Amino acid sequence: MSRSPLILSNISKSFAGVAALRDVSLEVKEGEIHALLGENGAGKSTLMNIASGTLQPDSGTIEINGEKIDVLSPHLATSHGLAIVHQHPAVLPDLSIEENIRISVPEEFLLSEGSPAATMRKILDDFGFTVSIKDRVENLTIAQQHLLDLAKAFAVNPKVLILDEPTAPLGQESVEILFDRVKKIAQSGTSVVYITHRLAEVRELANRVTVLRDGKWRGVKAIADISDDEIMTMIVGRELESTFPPKHGSKSSDKQFFKVSDISGGEFQNVSLTANKGEIVGIAGVVGNGQSQLLRAIAGLDKFSGTIEINGEPITGKQLLNKAAYMPSDRHGEGLMMTLSVRENAAVNALNKLTSGIFVSRKKETDVVHSSLTALEVKAPSMDADVSSLSGGNQQKIVMSRSLLADPVLIIADEPTQGVDVGARAEIYKILREVAENGIPVIVNSSDSKELEGLCDRVYVMSRGHIVETLEGENITETKMVAAAISSTKLKKEDGPSVSEKTLRRRKILRSDGLPPTVLLGMIGLLAMFIYSKNHLYFGSYNINAVLGLGTGLGFIALGQTIVLMTGGIDLSVGPASGVLLCVGSFFINDGKSAPIIIIGFVLMIIVAILIGIVNGSLIRFAHFTPVAGTLTVYIALIGIGFLLRPAPGGYFNATITDLLLAKIGPIPYTFIILAGAAVVFELLLRRTNWGVRLRASGSNEESARRLGININRTIIGAYIASALFAAAGAVIIMGLIGLGDPAQGTTYTLQSVTAVVLGGTSLLGGRGSFIGSLLGSVLMVQVLNACVFLNLSQTWQYLFQGLLIVFAAISYSLTRSGGKK
Amino acid sequence: MSSTQVREVKRSARLQISRGMKTVLAGTIILYIASALLAPTSVSKVAQMGMLPFAACLAIVGLGQTLVIQQGGIDLSVAGAVSLTVVIVTWGPDRHDNRLIPAVIAAFAAAIITGFINGALITKTKLNSIVATLGVNSLLYGVMMALSGGSPRRTTERLSHFTNDKIFGLPHSIYFGIICAIVVTILVKRTVIGRRFEAVGANPRAALATGLKVGRYQVGAYVMAQILYCIAGVVLGGVISQPTAYQGDDYVLPSVAIVVLGGTSLLGGRGFPAASALAALFLKQLDMFVLSLGVPYGVRTLVISISLMVGIALYAVNWRSIRSKVGVKTKEERQLQAA
Repeated sequence: MSRSPLILSNISKSFAGVAALRDVSLEVKEGEIHALLGENGAGKSTLMNIASGTLQPDSGTIEINGEKIDVLSPHLATSHGLAIVHQHPAVLPDLSIEENIRISVPEEFLLSEGSPAATMRKILDDFGFTVSIKDRVENLTIAQQHLLDLAKAFAVNPKVLILDEPTAPLGQESVEILFDRVKKIAQSGTSVVYITHRLAEVRELANRVTVLRDGKWRGVKAIADISDDEIMTMIVGRELESTFPPKHGSKSSDKQFFKVSDISGGEFQNVSLTANKGEIVGIAGVVGNGQSQLLRAIAGLDKFSGTIEINGEPITGKQLLNKAAYMPSDRHGEGLMMTLSVRENAAVNALNKLTSGIFVSRKKETDVVHSSLTALEVKAPSMDADVSSLSGGNQQKIVMSRSLLADPVLIIADEPTQGVDVGARAEIYKILREVAENGIPVIVNSSDSKELEGLCDRVYVMSRGHIVETLEGENITETKMVAAAISSTKLKKEDGPSVSEKTLRRRKILRSDGLPPTVLLGMIGLLAMFIYSKNHLYFGSYNINAVLGLGTGLGFIALGQTIVLMTGGIDLSVGPASGVLLCVGSFFINDGKSAPIIIIGFVLMIIVAILIGIVNGSLIRFAHFTPVAGTLTVYIALIGIGFLLRPAPGGYFNATITDLLLAKIGPIPYTFIILAGAAVVFELLLRRTNWGVRLRASGSNEESARRLGININRTIIGAYIASALFAAAGAVIIMGLIGLGDPAQGTTYTLQSVTAVVLGGTSLLGGRGSFIGSLLGSVLMVQVLNACVFLNLSQTWQYLFQGLLIVFAAISYSLTRSGGKK
Repeated sequence: MSSTQVREVKRSARLQISRGMKTVLAGTIILYIASALLAPTSVSKVAQMGMLPFAACLAIVGLGQTLVIQQGGIDLSVAGAVSLTVVIVTWGPDRHDNRLIPAVIAAFAAAIITGFINGALITKTKLNSIVATLGVNSLLYGVMMALSGGSPRRTTERLSHFTNDKIFGLPHSIYFGIICAIVVTILVKRTVIGRRFEAVGANPRAALATGLKVGRYQVGAYVMAQILYCIAGVVLGGVISQPTAYQGDDYVLPSVAIVVLGGTSLLGGRGFPAASALAALFLKQLDMFVLSLGVPYGVRTLVISISLMVGIALYAVNWRSIRSKVGVKTKEERQLQAA
């Protein structure tokens, strides 16, 4: 008998009192492919999250490689050779493929082909990738991103590999590659747990199958010993939880009211369906097969091709938006204004009918909302309560109340009972039925086929974006829905290389980090030539020295700002911080002070900078200030502290040191050379080291980064400390330029540094940027100001040039980045 | 059990006073008491008459900033907008009263155009509001410099009367501040557009899903904000007899500060215009108070920063979770439990 690397015994788990798993066991043998089957919500993903350490079970034991583990963490699971690929890929869009691999695949696995680059190439080739490892992940299709996530998991050569519905987003070709890989890795001794909804896949791959239903274990069988029908019987047969209102039944008076003919959109193709007055129509299928996208399209929110008619009249998406009431499944994100009250949420669509004169009538509003809430039996402390304080069921009723008050001709409900307790579910069914009886057809998408069986007059089953079955009357049963969904062999439309190589290449260039610095360098050069043609003194060493000198101070501060922006934050405190640090130094670094005192001065500047960074970072990460609010507070505080230290400018700096700071080689200050060196070094750190990857990862997608095990708090607070330290470097440069402590110096650097960094191509959304770009941005800023002097232009032009520069740079970066991101 | 709860749903308070308003009101009252006790000169008639017109201007600017912040944005073009208006209404007429009205009209036209530019940059080209308004601010300064060359002119007699004449012993400027606060509050809280405006700010995705035209409300915020900055600029042009060309510089960060103090979240959503306006008074009186105590500028600034930090912490820190950890229940929880 072979060994079993993963044994889960008697696992139970509840969420908020609702049992998700009850006494479930699973044993995975060495080298087998073990299929895990069950309906939506049967507990498959929960069980696998427990196996991978993401969730802790309430009771039961976990044994990996024969070792019983008391508390399993994701990290521990990984170190025991367990790898999991979730339904949503954990990839970082702003980072390159190479960086995404590096972040989750330890170095030791990247040497099998000699060099890491060669190994990565092999990993990608195995999954049919033709793209370069240097490509950014955001340029990949969704299917390719999934493949990348799969490839990463295969690359660590795990003992146990868990795949959660891996084929859902993939096209034919990719599915074949995946099956091939899965078979090969199993042959090499890896155990694979394969979660799926498709019997065909089970037949092709699996050795054994475990079935869950309603969080309970239904049995385990060798695939050779069980027929499809027997598997079906194990999957279906959920107990009916709620009571359903009587159905409409077909009547001769029925006429087609809502008719969808052959529409296609992003995730669904050639869908036709009808809804009559009085009917509730269900959309069934395994989650993520285009149901939600179809609903969004017929609600008028997404684009579609094909025709939709209401009462025989064709209707456009825009009109649908006003006529159909859409109840989204994501109640928090899209359904409700969570920070507003019950009354405000319920009334928002009906407000124009509740006015007296130009004002909203309190009486009308409270009356209408009150009668609606009473009719729907909403339980809330008061109409003024925040909607976020209600239970899931009552929140859903507020969404319904709002939808009904808008007087729609059609109601479209996506997962209306998700996160709703059993009692409220029955009430929601009753309301939907009443609405339908009143002549407003209801279209419901639900992952719970039992619910659709109880509720609907007609059900369309979707698979991979197509309608594969239409069920009516007696035929609306859970069994038939599940059968249609899981025995479908329809594949998703392959989203192959729909864009030409040429567009792809152009897009890559437009979105590369190297473009902004190159363009900036060109602009700096052109501007310099232009000014020189007007005034030959421009290239005089005095002027070059002046421009670079001013640019160096701004440049250091901008480098710090770049780090913070990369994390998706902003540091408004850098300006006053450099002022305060200048003042701190001005008490120690003077003429006649001994060397140790002067050193203490510099050390103190560093310490104060670190403190400023810690305060900024902590306000944002621990006290939950927004970056603007947190660093604005610190900005004002630092101005105060600066003026406390030095109410008036004073404290002349040590002449030897200022001379040193002003030293130059030819016309170029040494400090500028140091700045340029720093920019290059940090650019390399950003690209080549884990620090750089962590920094960009936390700005790119905080959630994915956290899942990949990055300590977000430490990374971001570290970024604010780094920013303050760069402000200290900026203060040292200012020291040389003005020679004395002045708290008012520096404040202007805050907005200038943001401008310079934006010019350099760093995105305020985080995740990407360039230190060299920021350096060049700083130089260009100073150059533009200086140009006006040389061209005899007034200050007007300084302002106008600055403004135009920012606006045009920002627009062009914004356009090039969104360009082609369809 | 459920019947009592259903009955309670009917309740909707006629007059709701926001937490921000309560906080700022309490803060202001305490501040005035402290001022009267510790630094009586700061509540003298002279001091108050000197301070209040500026508080009114800050309040009007803050009302505009409130609208933008409600939509999850931030407007750094305040400085350029206020400065430009001041220059147009003083430089343009050049002490000739008959040229005042055209100048004011021009100022408002410029403001509306600026608002549309800001709005279009942010909603159409998807620029970050910080970057867009920073750029537009520079452009506004450019226009302002082109007009005035940066050297100030005296305000006209008529504008001076318009803002400084008194009704019931208070200069007009104060009434302008109060009227603006009332009008904006009513617009936001009592009209259909205002109520939907709040809904868009609270959750643009949900607003879009319910069929609201999100972009229009967002552009509207920037346009209304500019109109308010313009009103503030006109008033300021009258209050100061010889304004500088950079009069708006002092309004950028304080305007953000008072919005935050008034309880409007920088993440957008429900806005509290009246609380923002009152916070302007709080901030100016705090400045006056600390000034009268004779402490240096550094301490004054530090005090403002600390009050801002306390103010934000009141809203940002999740007190509910902290309270529940300590075992204190909120009013709603008590009600639910009782029912």
